Amino acid sequence: MIDMKDVSKVYENGAMALDHVNVHIDKGEFVFIVGASGAGKSTFIRMLFREVLPSDGSLIVNGQDVVHMDHSDVPYLRRGLGVIFQDYRLLPDKTVTENVAFAMQVIEAPRRKIQHSVNAVLDIVGLRDKYKCFPSQLSGGEQQRVAIARAIVNHPALVIADEPTGNLDPETSWDIMDIFKRINADGTTIVMATHDKGIVDAMKRRVIAIEDGHIVRDEAQGVYGYEN
Amino acid sequence: MKISTGEYIIRETMLSLKRNSWMSFASIGTVAVSLFVFGMFLILVVNMNRMTDSLESQVEISVYVKDEVNEGGIRTLEERITAMQGIESVKFVDREKAMERFRDRLGDQQFLLDALGDTNPLPNSFEVRVIRPDMVRTAAEAIAELPGVETAKYGQDVVEHLFDITRLVRLFGLALMFVLALATLFIISNTIRLTVFARRKEVAIMKYVGATDWFIRWPFLLEGVVLGCLGGIVAALVLRGAYRVIAAKIYDTLTFFPLIPENPFLHYVTAAILVCGMGIGALGSTISLKKFLKA
Ligand SMILES: Nc1ncnc2c1ncn2[C@@H]1O[C@H](COP(=O)(O)OP(=O)(O)OP(=O)(O)O)[C@@H](O)[C@H]1O
Ligand SMILES: [Mg+2]
Repeated sequence: MIDMKDVSKVYENGAMALDHVNVHIDKGEFVFIVGASGAGKSTFIRMLFREVLPSDGSLIVNGQDVVHMDHSDVPYLRRGLGVIFQDYRLLPDKTVTENVAFAMQVIEAPRRKIQHSVNAVLDIVGLRDKYKCFPSQLSGGEQQRVAIARAIVNHPALVIADEPTGNLDPETSWDIMDIFKRINADGTTIVMATHDKGIVDAMKRRVIAIEDGHIVRDEAQGVYGYEN
Repeated sequence: MKISTGEYIIRETMLSLKRNSWMSFASIGTVAVSLFVFGMFLILVVNMNRMTDSLESQVEISVYVKDEVNEGGIRTLEERITAMQGIESVKFVDREKAMERFRDRLGDQQFLLDALGDTNPLPNSFEVRVIRPDMVRTAAEAIAELPGVETAKYGQDVVEHLFDITRLVRLFGLALMFVLALATLFIISNTIRLTVFARRKEVAIMKYVGATDWFIRWPFLLEGVVLGCLGGIVAALVLRGAYRVIAAKIYDTLTFFPLIPENPFLHYVTAAILVCGMGIGALGSTISLKKFLKA
């Protein structure tokens, strides 16, 4: 699913965010990316959907060569991915349904299919009864569930999340993790950057630890391994 | 493109025109002024070209014959000119007739001629017409070489002056249009920039979920084109009204003036204005989107 070889990232200002990183992630895996602030987690995550381009090395995501792809092919790479952020990034003047449907409209999905798929994913995230609400009428956890619904509505092979529980209390975070577990159980690969020691330790999934742009640890059933 | 996509694009366009109504209004105004000036110069230049053409085609060569040439010589001269290439007609005007005409033309100022007494300073001459206007110069030069010809003149001064003026108007118009086009581009691209800014979150999400650049671009492009088109319509309406009024005035007072009739000329001008307006609108939004879509 993800094949990263000798990838480095140097930002325009000279900051070295990743330094010769090698990672291979198979289809169906559930992977945590952990590390201190500024370690390079977000840089790693953003490379996967080509918001950041590697300065060096090769990167294959979902069978597509991210480094050498044409600018015009980027949308098609992203259609196979679902992206989730710490700050939800919902459209405030659209309802729950409209926010989720938006992801299908802009890739020109047929209208009847949109209706059906949106209802299905709202069931998965447990928000069917709030479909008419605007984001401002929802709690943080609910908003993040809308964002997850939007990320998975096009049936991506890979879901990428950058600190999706970063703004949520522990209990709500676990609701989100339950949804991720279910999505993963259906065969979707999940890569999630997080600071949440409790979650990482309890989930017992693969953990990749980054420190100063280097991978310092990659364990199949790892723990967080840092004191927060 | 899918029907639902078309609906989406139109809805988004309307929405942002409304959202930036003041900026939209300013853009339409600027486009209208620019296109009005464009149309004005277009009309002016086309009319002046036409005037030059019609004057040129009316040009005849006046061939003055030397005084010592006798009647036989005049006849040979007439034959030789008629035999030349590109000559349509040759008409002989003897000096008495020329004097008569001159007197007629002076009207109540004939007393000016009293000083001449009985002498007639005018020479015998031919009035020569050519088949095509562009033959005037060569024909005149060839005729001037013939023996017994004093000079061969045509209205080159008038024609060339008119050419010069047309060229000047065209140049000035082009320069002005260039400046106005830049101003229009500037304001349209800024209007679109506002729209893009207002919708930056939406656009960012569109990119994350895999919308193509063209899908993102369409509503903005359409907004630019609509702004350009509305400005063009305003300019065309004003211009058409103005032309009609001015044309009516000119027909009343200067009947001989070869003004181009309204139809279908004004339709062409309107089409040109609308096409330019929409083109500038599209270009303006493309400029403001270019940087934005790259990332
Ligand atoms: N756009 C950018 N331009 C320049 N430098 C950047 C940029 N983004 C990140 N960096 C730098 O790259 C390094 C890694 O940043 P990154 O955001 O990947 O860290 P992170 O692990 O996600 O941190 P956090 O846990 O705080 O989110 C940092 O030193 C940061 O300052
Ligand atoms: Mg980060």
